[in-house]
Amino acid sequence: MLQHHNSDAQAPSRVVILGPNGFVGRRLVAHLNANKTPVLSLGREQVDLTAGNAADKISAELRSDDTLVFLAALTPDKGRGIPPFLDNLKMAAAVCAAIEAKPPAHIVYVSSDAVYPFRSGLVDETSCAEPNDLYAAMHMAREIMIKQSAKAPLAILRPTLIYGADDTHNSYGPNRLRRMARKDGRISLFGDGEETRDHIYIDDVVALIELVIRHRSAGLLNLATGKPVAFSDLARMVASLFPSTVEVNGTPRKNPVTHRAFDVTALLRSFPKFRFTGLEEGLAAAHQQEIV
Amino acid sequence: MTNLARIAYVGMTHLGICSAIAAASKGFSTIGFSPEEDLVARLGAGQLPVVEPELDALLRDHRERITFTSDPATLGDCDVIYVAPDIPTDHTGRSDLSPLNVLLDLARKHSRPDAVIVILSQVAPGYTRARAQQGRLLFYQVETLIFGRAVERATKPERFIVGCLDPHQPLPPALARYLEAFGCPILPMRFESAELAKIAINCCLVASVATANTLAGICENIGADWSEIVPALRLDRRIGPYSYLAPGLGISGGNLERDLATMVELGDAHGTDVGVVRAWQANSRFRRDWVLRKLHELVLPAVTDAKLALLGLAYKENTHSTKNSPALALLADVAPFAVTAYDPVVAVNGDWHPRLSGAIDALAAVADADALIIMTPWPQFKDLKPADVAGRLRGKIVIDPFACLDRAACYAAGLSHHTLGV
Repeated sequence: MLQHHNSDAQAPSRVVILGPNGFVGRRLVAHLNANKTPVLSLGREQVDLTAGNAADKISAELRSDDTLVFLAALTPDKGRGIPPFLDNLKMAAAVCAAIEAKPPAHIVYVSSDAVYPFRSGLVDETSCAEPNDLYAAMHMAREIMIKQSAKAPLAILRPTLIYGADDTHNSYGPNRLRRMARKDGRISLFGDGEETRDHIYIDDVVALIELVIRHRSAGLLNLATGKPVAFSDLARMVASLFPSTVEVNGTPRKNPVTHRAFDVTALLRSFPKFRFTGLEEGLAAAHQQEIV
Repeated sequence: MTNLARIAYVGMTHLGICSAIAAASKGFSTIGFSPEEDLVARLGAGQLPVVEPELDALLRDHRERITFTSDPATLGDCDVIYVAPDIPTDHTGRSDLSPLNVLLDLARKHSRPDAVIVILSQVAPGYTRARAQQGRLLFYQVETLIFGRAVERATKPERFIVGCLDPHQPLPPALARYLEAFGCPILPMRFESAELAKIAINCCLVASVATANTLAGICENIGADWSEIVPALRLDRRIGPYSYLAPGLGISGGNLERDLATMVELGDAHGTDVGVVRAWQANSRFRRDWVLRKLHELVLPAVTDAKLALLGLAYKENTHSTKNSPALALLADVAPFAVTAYDPVVAVNGDWHPRLSGAIDALAAVADADALIIMTPWPQFKDLKPADVAGRLRGKIVIDPFACLDRAACYAAGLSHHTLGV
């Protein structure tokens, strides 16, 4: 649950974004620019967060009235081994040193729902985080590191599976299914696609981050829709976006079926007027943007 | 009548008031003591600060046998003194026992050395034994007051559970004669057993409610109707006709929450697994927000700046209590939207919501609203005709968790009716 330090939304003085070139970062920068919010993007070209001088470079840029959004991370598609794990922690250590040296007014850390185990049933913000791989452990460790270093209100956001055009990742989800349909004319599922997952549209994630910034919110919030869908249904929705027939095929199941559903009451409570993009609408929008 | 024990109830809140009036109704000369002079004056004038069906009439019928006073010296004439203040709890269910401690000391100070003192307020195991004193008669008695049914529970109890220093010794004659007047079984047991018996009763009730809520949630997703299943369960002797199987919006009122908090504390302190109790607490929190989720599913995404009609503010029907009321919790969660509310007993309080207004009756609250939400199943709301609601409601959605309105009549009136368990 979040606590809003601005009960009424207020424009931030400036938003400093670490990781402005990733899937979420690009959209967030574009959205903030469109809203005429002052933005300072610190990408790898400006600051290599794994370099020894990263903390000094960040703190040299930070102002006391800034909102700092920390998105930068080596995602699982860049490897799940120990080197990216350590690099991710090194990046967080630099950010922590910087915010200790030059505290901003507000910090937003975008973590991941990977910190929750799949056996926990309905997930909410009180669910026990129990990372079971190094990527999840990295996010968990970063959350703790930043909590320890932050002297300003800190919001930790744990988005679930994000989809949308321009997604650079290729994990099992809407983006990959769409790419399969476009390339092969068919979608291949794990098993018969019985697993249910929650998929949140990139524009919703960006809008929620903006709300967190404007309300100067602090606390923990999962970013999910609360409407899980089976991969088989998702595949059919994706297939329907194409003018020609797209086959949806099952494959022999190798792993047990797991489900993930979120109780998003805390999100509804934090932002009562927020409206999610429906999955079919979001898929259609993403599809349209990719083919244009 | 003169050989009847003289009874006192110390602490004139819900429990003490109802119990004292019940004692008078059984023919006992009864003292209702409170140190609050204003409260005593109101009670003396027959103005009860609690809402309970038939309580005013019961007091009126037996008024000559009950004396409300703030003079502690009157306790010196009493044979049995119940110390019975309601125990306040915080938002985590933790009890504040300081009012009880104060009144217990006062009762001891002003009573005869041979008077029987009975703690009636709910306390955690260990409380009573820690306060036993050499030469003074101290007992603990389980209260089973139910808000909205307090008169029935106080005058026709199913049994008395009495915690004793030595349960093998007969009860003091004055206490025994008083309890026997109610004509129900008396179960003496050691202090800790009696204190835990109260919690055990509530745990069993919560287990039933949590089970009903969980199954109702499944019903809502697979096309089953929980109300069709309940009669089958009630006919099962192992479950029973009076079992708590009605789905609800989580646990509220404060008492059950307190017992669950006590169980968790006891389990953690003694290294016993109480995971199921934590699951009940989580289930309660989840079900409490059922209406909020329905609103976000059915109403708020479709209507810009929705106006909501809210019927019921009390945490349950036939009570004025709003402790942990789901209606108040909902109000806090829909702050941006205009709400018009009506409750037969609870007055609208502007502190609960920035855009809250009160209505003079239920239909007035419904006028021009985009959705109707019925949060408390007051009997009056069951008399509402769906056609009348449909004629005033701007939208079509009725969120009626307790099924106050007839579903078929709602559909016939063009309303979209949503209830727990379907």
